[in-house]
Amino acid sequence: MAAADSPSAALRRRDLCSRGIRLAGKMRSDVVDLLDTYVERQGLDASASVAAVEGVPAAAVERWDEQTGTQRLLENLAAYRAFRVLLSQMLEEHREQLGEADAALGRALASVLLQVSAFAYHLEELLRLESRGPPSEEGAPPPPAPHLGLFERKLRGLGVLRELAQWAVRSARDLRQLTKPSPGSGSAPSWAESP
Amino acid sequence: MFSGWNWVAYGLYLLLNFCSLEVSGGLVQSCGHIIPESPVLALGSNFTALCILNESCLDFGNIYANQIIWKIKNRVVPKEQYREINRTVSSVTFNDTSSLATPLTCNILADGQIEQNIYGIAVTVGLPPEKPKNLSCIVHQVLKLTYPMTCTWNPGRHTFLDTHFRLKYRWPQENFPDCIPKDVNNSCTIPDVQFFVNLEVWVEAANALGKAESDPLVLDPIEIVKPLPPHNLSVNSGILPTVLKISWENRISGSVMKLKFNIRYRTIGDTNWMQVPPEDTASPRTSFSVQGLRPYTEYVFSIRCMKEDGVGYWSDWSEEKTGITTEDKPSKGPPIWRIIDASRSPAFWTVRLMWKALEPFEANGIILQYEVTVRAKSSLSSPPEKYNVNTTNLILKLPNGTYEVTLIAHNRVGASPPSVLLIPATNSKAPVKNVRTLPKDGKLWVGWTAPNSYVLKYVIEWCLVSNSSDCVIEWQNEPGNVQGTYLKGDIKPFKCYLITVYSLYADGQGSGQSVKAYLQQDRPSKGPTVQTKKVGKAEAVLTWNHLTVDEQNGFIRSYTIFYKTVDGNETAVTVDPSETEYTLSSLTSDTLYTVRMMAYTDEGGRSGPDFTFTTQKFGKGEIEAIVVPVCLAFLLIVLLGVLFCFNKRDLIKKHIWPIVPDPSKSNIAQWSPQVPAKHNFSSKDQMYPEGSFTDVSVVEIEADDKKSFSEQDLKPFDLLKKEKSTSEGHSSGIGGSSCMSSPRQSVSDSDEGETTQNTSSTVQYSTVVLNGYRDQTPVQVFSRSESTQPLLDSEERSEDHSGGGDGTSQRQQYFKQNGGQDETNTDRPCFERTKQITPTNEGDLVGFAQLQISGESSQLLGLGLEKNTQEAALPDVLQASIEGQTVRPGTVEGNPPSADEMPKSYLPQTVRQGGYMPQ
Repeated sequence: MAAADSPSAALRRRDLCSRGIRLAGKMRSDVVDLLDTYVERQGLDASASVAAVEGVPAAAVERWDEQTGTQRLLENLAAYRAFRVLLSQMLEEHREQLGEADAALGRALASVLLQVSAFAYHLEELLRLESRGPPSEEGAPPPPAPHLGLFERKLRGLGVLRELAQWAVRSARDLRQLTKPSPGSGSAPSWAESP
Repeated sequence: MFSGWNWVAYGLYLLLNFCSLEVSGGLVQSCGHIIPESPVLALGSNFTALCILNESCLDFGNIYANQIIWKIKNRVVPKEQYREINRTVSSVTFNDTSSLATPLTCNILADGQIEQNIYGIAVTVGLPPEKPKNLSCIVHQVLKLTYPMTCTWNPGRHTFLDTHFRLKYRWPQENFPDCIPKDVNNSCTIPDVQFFVNLEVWVEAANALGKAESDPLVLDPIEIVKPLPPHNLSVNSGILPTVLKISWENRISGSVMKLKFNIRYRTIGDTNWMQVPPEDTASPRTSFSVQGLRPYTEYVFSIRCMKEDGVGYWSDWSEEKTGITTEDKPSKGPPIWRIIDASRSPAFWTVRLMWKALEPFEANGIILQYEVTVRAKSSLSSPPEKYNVNTTNLILKLPNGTYEVTLIAHNRVGASPPSVLLIPATNSKAPVKNVRTLPKDGKLWVGWTAPNSYVLKYVIEWCLVSNSSDCVIEWQNEPGNVQGTYLKGDIKPFKCYLITVYSLYADGQGSGQSVKAYLQQDRPSKGPTVQTKKVGKAEAVLTWNHLTVDEQNGFIRSYTIFYKTVDGNETAVTVDPSETEYTLSSLTSDTLYTVRMMAYTDEGGRSGPDFTFTTQKFGKGEIEAIVVPVCLAFLLIVLLGVLFCFNKRDLIKKHIWPIVPDPSKSNIAQWSPQVPAKHNFSSKDQMYPEGSFTDVSVVEIEADDKKSFSEQDLKPFDLLKKEKSTSEGHSSGIGGSSCMSSPRQSVSDSDEGETTQNTSSTVQYSTVVLNGYRDQTPVQVFSRSESTQPLLDSEERSEDHSGGGDGTSQRQQYFKQNGGQDETNTDRPCFERTKQITPTNEGDLVGFAQLQISGESSQLLGLGLEKNTQEAALPDVLQASIEGQTVRPGTVEGNPPSADEMPKSYLPQTVRQGGYMPQ
């Protein structure tokens, strides 16, 4: 809390939140573009229904406004860490499947992967400012890569990107919520109450 | 400089060379080596090398370390830098590596004198890399989602070594592969960067002597973006004629970057841009309405953008897009002026109204027509006349008077404010003064002094003065508060312009004040052609024509006349430019002069062609002054001579004209026609025994004393005729006749005893004495001439014919010595008179014959008739005469009959049948 109380920490947090919001916005924009490209290149139907991706927390959550800041950050971090693993798997699969034949899609995937990593870094930094520190990644091991067929992998990739797009929206809202001064608690929100 | 590969190659070469020596010398291995092997040294540092001899060589060749010689290339290193460490090791030390060169060799003096190379090394000298400085990065947006970042830095000094640079960057939690520059050492481009995460960037430089890193640069790449400019611009005119709406598309997502903009615009043809106030476009948008534009004007727009907070870089300007504002009604009335021609009719003016088309920013659209209203101020009752025209001039014929002209321009939107021109009957108001011009900055400035009263505006007229074209008037308006302006037109240099300034008042107009001006002067294009108008003995009047305006190229300030003789110095005379004539004086007479003439403007002069003339030898009146006195003197001498001759005429006569012997005292007086035998040459000699006449002597006896004729007097004639008829053969010896030798001429009046000599007839054939001398019976005397010249009988005949009607004149012609009358006829040749002959009847001939005898018609008429009867006995003779005289006189004259052919008649006169021959 001491770090959070210092003016520099407050500025740092505000800066992290602000840039995180914009990063989330850009990430959503890029993911939406990537979705179109992915559907087209993978020969999928944009309206295809995809089951929830295993290992990724659902973006939609009940009683969202009742969540504490830390809770939001932790959920976000968990989600993006999962996305980072999934996107890395997708990128690897893409390279194995197409090599350098579809470099644009590969570059787009890599770009999104970088943004996911960057956003995860933002979340970790915010959590550090909260004096909690981010949970170690060992605590949340990545889901093992299931042995799926090619089409299933494509569908799973489509599901990952769709979920990422939703999370980008939610993350922006979460960070925006964090920047709002909580009533009666000054600049520091009652993140300590978070589990 | 230093090249590592070269050093290495050179070292290998030495090594091989050394080994070969060993082989040739029987050695199988090196006798020593140098430590360190091929070092890379920092420039300016100290360096120590050791040469270590092998033990085997010590035993074999008694070689020890104290015999070692160090060399740099072929230069021996001073022994002071050597140090013998032990008997097999020698060291050399260099305090500054800059004195080093490759190779550094270890040599030994074998057997005291033979220097042999033991080993050599290549030394590389350089510098460690400097810390790269001034690292900066920029993210160029090249596509919508592609943001490469280019970083540049200052690599520092040259190291003389192979130095590698790497651009390193990383996130706090993630490293990225280094960016390695290609072909350069001061920049590198990272293909894609992610925004909103701080990126740490630095440069690492490394070579054999070390490694250096720049200060790290921590930044969010979003802060150094140079975005792509907006595109797909469109410009739309709005409802207002002064507004255009510009729209565009941004090529960077709003989620990535919020943008602000700069909008610039200009009119077509203008190069200067105007800019929309930046604060008006400091927020994200995709359109903007530009206001305050001019109606019906085409504008060019361009736009750029950057991050809204101003962190980063402006994009390039977008492509340009044009748009036109809508029309508005004209903002002002056209400037109007007039030209009045009053020369055709004194009572009417031909007024040419002319106005200038409005400038586009004044017209605010397309002018469809002009409405001209002319109102006579003098007669307020008459309604104004309106004219709608599409051109910019209108010619009206108006009675003299004061008029107010109103001009309105119309476009599609509306009408302009009216322009009013007052045309007064007379320009009675105060004019401007002191109109002057000044070329300035390639334009012609006109200035004037304003009159004292308030001037509404000024009108400046000008036109190009030329011989080849009319003066086409151009004009411009100037407000009343100025006293000078530049002419707004294509003013050409070297051309003469006539500039007139008018002052216009609310109630009148001042008369125009004119001045001529040149924008730029030059020398005349040709010089005047001079020629002489009059040349005298010591002066010459030169004349020339003025140069035409087109030839002048400027104001003619003066003429200079140059004249010289062939071998003399040239003399120059300056003449006022208004003159066209000049008199050169003090010239040398009868001398060839060459004259030429130069015309000068402010920029110089040009000479005309040479003209030569020669002065006269004599001055005016000199010849007269010589000739007149000479003539007068001559006349005086002649007069004196005449007077002298007159006074001395007796003496002269005595010497020149000897006294003619008195015929009365001549022997011929006793000559008788009945004695023809005596009429021969011998008798002649007897008659003039004294020889007074050398060749011919003439004695004419005047037979004019008509009154003295009587029947008695005529008797001898009859006798003569008879004698003649009978003695035809005697008289045939007389050859022909002449004018002066006719019988009538020979007749002389001997009453007074005067003799007259005919000087004009120097050849005398005979002398006939008709009258008796001093009351003696006249005898017919024939004096035979020795001359063989034919007689001109036809002349005689013509004289007879012409004198038929007037005996007096007839006599005067032939008896010219009688009383001195009619001397003018004495020289007339006979043939001239012959030509006057006209055919006459016999009556005339009768009369003629009578005249020949007496010359007194009244008396001779009867006598003639009587003679006709008497002469009837002479038909043969007469017939012969008639035949001979009917020949045309000319023919007779041209071919006078010879003495043999001639009739044996004394006077072969023309006598028709029935006529009379006196002898």
